Amino acid sequence: MSGTYQAPSASTAKPYIEPASIPDELPKVNEIGTTSGPLKSAAFFIGAYCKEYNEDFMLCKAEDRDPAHCLKEGRRVTRCATDLLTKMRENCFAQWDAHWQCLEKNNQEYYLCRKPERTLNQCMFERLGLVKTVPGSPEGQPQIHEKERPIYKAMQK
Amino acid sequence: MPPPGGFAHVQYKRNLSLRGPSGVLILGVTCLVSAFGFYRLGQGNLEQRELAREKAWSRIHLVPLLLAEGDRDAYRRQKAIDAREAAIMNDVPGWQPGQSVYHNPKYRSGHWVLPL
Repeated sequence: MSGTYQAPSASTAKPYIEPASIPDELPKVNEIGTTSGPLKSAAFFIGAYCKEYNEDFMLCKAEDRDPAHCLKEGRRVTRCATDLLTKMRENCFAQWDAHWQCLEKNNQEYYLCRKPERTLNQCMFERLGLVKTVPGSPEGQPQIHEKERPIYKAMQK
Repeated sequence: MPPPGGFAHVQYKRNLSLRGPSGVLILGVTCLVSAFGFYRLGQGNLEQRELAREKAWSRIHLVPLLLAEGDRDAYRRQKAIDAREAAIMNDVPGWQPGQSVYHNPKYRSGHWVLPL
């Protein structure tokens, strides 16, 4: 133990930060370290690229909510997402950057950022073969992100 | 005697301005405009449903990633808590640090909020 628990007192009103690191017998994994905008921009590609790992992890969590139960599956999920984000950075960095900057400026709403989103989707399909699909959309119609003349859209195109 | 060429016609028609479009026409145009508006409203409602679905799925796709990270953090904290408890209670015979107070193997978080 590197640190002993100090009861937070009124004079030193700092939040208690756990100094201990994760046990050494567990394999190390780098945390994703990405903020919400880039993650939201990449969400559907993470869902498409890491489908097996994500489903495996969620099935494991359905077995038992104990954090210790699914550490191995969780590491696989994080490694897969890191892998995808590295590939996105190598292949579609400019398009990804433009899209998540737009999301950050538009309250992280997809429908206000269709233009950069379409260039990103096209780049992801051409370079990595990943397609954004929203599950449960009505059959026989273009999906909402591919709609030509949407009613809800940005005022300025 | 009448003047040559006869008398001029008597102006017996009322000299009124145009009445404008008829009531039936106004009603019909109003109905058409309203019908178009309601059609757009319905299309917009369908579109909003799809936008909500898109937003929900973007979050669903990120849940495993965020949950895995939160689990690792919760596990690290729980291990530290158990080690601290073992150090404090090391002179109590038979004490098991981190043991549940319930006779039930089901996992219970020590916090009110699940670590997500």
